[in-house]
Amino acid sequence: MNLKTSILDYINDVKSGSFTVEEFISATIQRIKDVDGDVHAYLSLNESAIEDARIIDKKISAGEKVGACYGFPISIKDNICITGSKTTCASKILENFVAPYTATVVDKLQSEDAVITGKTNLDEFAMGLTTEFSAYGPTKNPWNLKYVPGGSSGGSAASVAADECLASLGSDTGGSVRNPASFCSVVGLKPTYGLISRYGLISYANSIEQIGPVTKTVKDCGFLLNIIAGQDSNDDTTIDNANSDYLSDIEQGIDGKKIGIIKEMTSDGLSPEVSAATKDAIQDFEKLGANCEEVSLPTIPYTVAAYYTITSTEAGSNLARYDNIRYGYDLDSEGYEYNSYISKSRAKFGPEVTRRIILGGFVPSAGHAGKYFLKALKVKSKLISEVNSAFEKYDFLISPTAPVQPFQFGEKIDDPVTLMLLDYNTVTANLTGKPAISVPYRVTDGLPIGMQIIGNSKNEKSLLQAAYALESKTELPEVPL
Amino acid sequence: MVDEEEIIRVAKLMKIDLEDHTEHVGRVKKMLEYFDILDHIDLSSEEIVSQEKALDELRKDEFVPNDKKLIESLKNFREHYVRAPKMN
Repeated sequence: MNLKTSILDYINDVKSGSFTVEEFISATIQRIKDVDGDVHAYLSLNESAIEDARIIDKKISAGEKVGACYGFPISIKDNICITGSKTTCASKILENFVAPYTATVVDKLQSEDAVITGKTNLDEFAMGLTTEFSAYGPTKNPWNLKYVPGGSSGGSAASVAADECLASLGSDTGGSVRNPASFCSVVGLKPTYGLISRYGLISYANSIEQIGPVTKTVKDCGFLLNIIAGQDSNDDTTIDNANSDYLSDIEQGIDGKKIGIIKEMTSDGLSPEVSAATKDAIQDFEKLGANCEEVSLPTIPYTVAAYYTITSTEAGSNLARYDNIRYGYDLDSEGYEYNSYISKSRAKFGPEVTRRIILGGFVPSAGHAGKYFLKALKVKSKLISEVNSAFEKYDFLISPTAPVQPFQFGEKIDDPVTLMLLDYNTVTANLTGKPAISVPYRVTDGLPIGMQIIGNSKNEKSLLQAAYALESKTELPEVPL
Repeated sequence: MVDEEEIIRVAKLMKIDLEDHTEHVGRVKKMLEYFDILDHIDLSSEEIVSQEKALDELRKDEFVPNDKKLIESLKNFREHYVRAPKMN
């Protein structure tokens, strides 16, 4: 049985009777047992996955209506709630939190007969780019276990790359789906703000974060988007996608499309390997019939500072609920004074989350808001104007997803500014609400490089067409695990 | 230049005890110093754009009963209430 298969091929195989759902899920669980001791993509497993598979098999053999997913295995980032299962956000403060309700995205997947394999590792509360900030230890990159898988959805990307599932859901606040997708050579989409419900996603920075699919192929990404996108009465920020079919016409091509190569994301700061791959990708786009030219977005050098200012502010507010009374550690209140009781539980936050909370108190505070938070909001406004102007001329904007390839554990963790700058190419899509996708493009010296394509709002359909076109120009090695 | 005392004061307001975590102060300071880049962009003509939605477009503000009695699983649940620590 080929666990490297795509969702679409899997569904065809199950429909034609090549194997049962139970057989495939059992093989996937065995694969997890075989490799996850090394990869550590999962924080917890769905103990009833095989039983879930049997139920779908029974429906198939009885000729009953089966959901579109036909039992394909999918992992879920551990900041997305599933009733009755632990949702830790990779934090000690939620070590024993069992979700009392199910996120809309998971509900939609289960309604269409997907089988959840388990919950995947992340940087604590999705704050980080390497999974080194997980309270339960980092995930390793399946391409080389000495290297980081990217983050914060590192567990999601690694689980897909290591064939421990066929797809995953991550969340992307500043690149947290696209960055690990690039580092692990899988497809990762950050949709238009509001396209996918955030109901059941544990809040970090509500104004910009989105749930996004991680898949092996661009077509699988379109398939998953068809299932999870759309308005949700439980999330008033969701938008009407007019029941778009993201899979139909995906092979349409990009002949005659205009592509802007973002100057600020393709000049300084790229490693030589990423720079060379980017030049080749531009040539590929031209061979596909697109017209590429450089476009300057002068606000981009200020976006990382604006992004961290805004997200820290929202995190400071969102994470106030972990006070040992409403959520959190559940320490006995006997013998404690109120403030020390709360501080005691909040000492359970890991180092990066602690720092972001402090920042989140500082940057919007009286006396400092004018220098930081209000300026950050104005940078966001200026960036939106610039990017909207660019989309009057171009169909897509492109850059490498990350300025560098995966790096070794410990290599960058001690320098907060270097870590922040890993987000340089990805935060623009979040601050502007635009959809962006990372497409696996090359593997150099055994380490992946992904290309980012940004589309205009609600234009996921054409974005996926461009991503599919680029994907069709690549021929990548298999993960050596 | 960001004052370290001010960082510690804000941390306390955010209910973060920095007594044993002084290394955080230096790192937060480094991040704030990087944010100084925001002083170098001309934003004089920029307005802050906010997303707005009319009240009637929002979900109705109505009580949704939950019969799971989650509160009873809390360590500090005492028959009819949750015991909070003493306030001085």
